[in-house]
Amino acid sequence: MTNHQNIKRINPRRAYQIMANGIKRIVLGCTANSADFIAHEASTQLHSSKKPVRTPTLAKARVLVILHSDRGMLDDHAKQSIAAAAILADANTAVVTLVLGELREDAYQQLASTGADEVLVISECDYQIFQPDIELAYVAAVIKSITPIRIFMPDNLIGDGDLGRRLIASQPQKTAATHVVEINADHIANYQMGGTALAFSHWPNIVLIAPDIADAQLPFTADALALNFDQASSTQNNANTQPSAYANLGVQTMPAAQIALEEADFIVSAGNGVNHVPTLKTLAASLDAAIGASRVAVDDGKFSRDKQIGATGKTVSASTYLAIGISGAVQHLQGIKDCRHVIVINRDHSAPIVKRADLSVIGDAEEIMQQLIIAINDAKTDPINKETA
Amino acid sequence: MSIKHIAALVSAGRHPISGVARHCRNDSLAMTMALNLVNRINATNSNTSQLTVLHAGNAKNEALYDYLALGASQIEVLATATDTNIVHSLAVKLADTDLILTGSRAENGLDSGLLPYLLAAKLNIPLVANALAITPMTNGIEVLQFLPKGKRRKVSVQLPAVVVIHPLAPVELHFAYAKLAVGKINKQASVTLADTRTENSMQWQTQAIMRKPNKLKARENKSGHARMLSATVSENKGGAVVNDGNSVEKAQVILRYLREHRLINF
Ligand SMILES: Cc1cc2nc3c(=O)[nH]c(=O)nc-3n(C[C@H](O)[C@H](O)[C@H](O)COP(=O)(O)OP(=O)(O)OC[C@H]3O[C@@H](n4cnc5c(N)ncnc54)[C@H](O)[C@@H]3O)c2cc1C
Ligand SMILES: Nc1ncnc2c1ncn2[C@@H]1O[C@H](COP(=O)(O)O)[C@@H](O)[C@H]1O
Repeated sequence: MTNHQNIKRINPRRAYQIMANGIKRIVLGCTANSADFIAHEASTQLHSSKKPVRTPTLAKARVLVILHSDRGMLDDHAKQSIAAAAILADANTAVVTLVLGELREDAYQQLASTGADEVLVISECDYQIFQPDIELAYVAAVIKSITPIRIFMPDNLIGDGDLGRRLIASQPQKTAATHVVEINADHIANYQMGGTALAFSHWPNIVLIAPDIADAQLPFTADALALNFDQASSTQNNANTQPSAYANLGVQTMPAAQIALEEADFIVSAGNGVNHVPTLKTLAASLDAAIGASRVAVDDGKFSRDKQIGATGKTVSASTYLAIGISGAVQHLQGIKDCRHVIVINRDHSAPIVKRADLSVIGDAEEIMQQLIIAINDAKTDPINKETA
Repeated sequence: MSIKHIAALVSAGRHPISGVARHCRNDSLAMTMALNLVNRINATNSNTSQLTVLHAGNAKNEALYDYLALGASQIEVLATATDTNIVHSLAVKLADTDLILTGSRAENGLDSGLLPYLLAAKLNIPLVANALAITPMTNGIEVLQFLPKGKRRKVSVQLPAVVVIHPLAPVELHFAYAKLAVGKINKQASVTLADTRTENSMQWQTQAIMRKPNKLKARENKSGHARMLSATVSENKGGAVVNDGNSVEKAQVILRYLREHRLINF
């Protein structure tokens, strides 16, 4: 109390400058000027909301990322592979992404945010059609034309793991590593000896990347410039080779009821807010979806234990997760972290699951389920409806 | 059905904790599938087909007894020195085999899952991976392939071919001591090689796992203020929230979303 006046006070709002690296520097000897201060605030806001573009103006080298699209979009594994290539590329290296399969217009934004500088699309390919010889010929043609210093591919089961190994086998002089679980600026690593040893090596020419090894959230963006690829000349190459040894006899989707929940692509999941289970089952059947449940719904005896999703149940990776009357406790959200589209029907707009959802519809579960079943049946029977949608 | 020679490639496995030699489950699936296929062909057709179970490595490896117990009547072992190119020795041995079945990944070496691909490339024959079932046809075979998300694909392929069996193939394994007792292990001299180069060779340094792999993250040069913001302000996550309208309209919103993202095909 008595010393109070002796303490030297420092003005916390002294004038400062923001350096190139984004760090604040206080300018000694200057007095705070409020107008200046506001200007600085505004510039930092601007700085943080817009990410810098990484794409080199004059690329000296290129790395190639090869992957299959899934329904015109990229899955997380594909995005992580591009992001890994972009993070590891130096300032003069451009990341070229070769997409095998159709690519939707809005996927370019995904590609830009995961660091793809240039994009090549071969839309005749499709991961559901088995034509490894043709795809390999395309890839060889692309490699020849852009001469990448390194090739990255996701080691997955939608064609890239298979195509990648064919590529490796076709180029025995190139070094290669598969199932890569760690990559950074100076080495790569994978599991060997039945998963009991972590093995390290220098970067090989061809890298097949396991899921989740890189963070696809980048502090920069890229141009995602569409390149033209001379498909005519590479199909010419195909025509010269002998007829294919493979023939496709069709893809079938297993009835949702028959496959394990972990493998299901569409899950309709019920929580405490579902009172009438038959409606939910009808809805799941009309969407050909597998049925899941929250722990409370399982504990109530509405569903069997093997339907429980969450920390103490199953971890699912469906493309579509329709959560009905589920509040979204962390234990439940843990089980659905890999789901791509989460759609919620809930009475409460402040339920935690609404934050996780891509679309939340607020209202009574039973009523909306009934209407949704009617809407789906209409859509299935009425082809005109289809065109207007 | 002209599948005369079928071969199953088996590698030596080891228990992940104790390191004890044992069969590799992936390869046992392939071998059992090959056995079933041979039995099926021989039962319906006088045209006899025969199975070779092949291992490249040490004939004394205890892991091989597991394959005998699983039903192999005889295992051919190509003795290889540590530095020989096993792809080359196997390719020479398998030059006139119609159908080669392998597992998807070994567990006692690099475990890259590359061997079948290198072999198919060396023999210049087609390869089908992720196989769940094989049906012999008049000219070639039909293979049911695993695809994620509950999808299955059927393809046909001409012979000779390499087929890699998926770990989820619905095959039951039966161990029987009686079979172990009658089975034989045949050691064969390996082909001496002109070519000792190995494909895609890499220098590896292994360490017993002590840590989890580190995730690659982009380095961010953010100011303290921006870092603080990103730590405290949760990201603008959460999609559209529909509060208004009656339940018919709300149902339409869901249907439109599903269609827009092609999550349904009607
Ligand atoms: C150790 C531990 C492990 C756990 N593991 C799991 C797990 O693996 N999986 C799991 O799911 N849970 C797990 N839980 C439980 C979890 O914490 C929650 O209690 C549970 O997930 C809640 O289930 P719920 O969302 O169905 O029910 P509630 O929390 O009761 O939520 C019901 C929701 O439905 C809405 N609702 C109610 N009536 C209607 C209506 N008529 N129309 C529309 N909406 C309506 C409500 O607004 C509410 O949001 C675990 C808990 C613990 C402690
Ligand atoms: N030494 C070996 N002898 C015979 N077959 C092998 C050998 N090593 C690997 N294979 C086969 O090749 C498959 C893939 O092995 P890898 O490429 O080593 O992961 C295995 O599942 C086996 O079927």
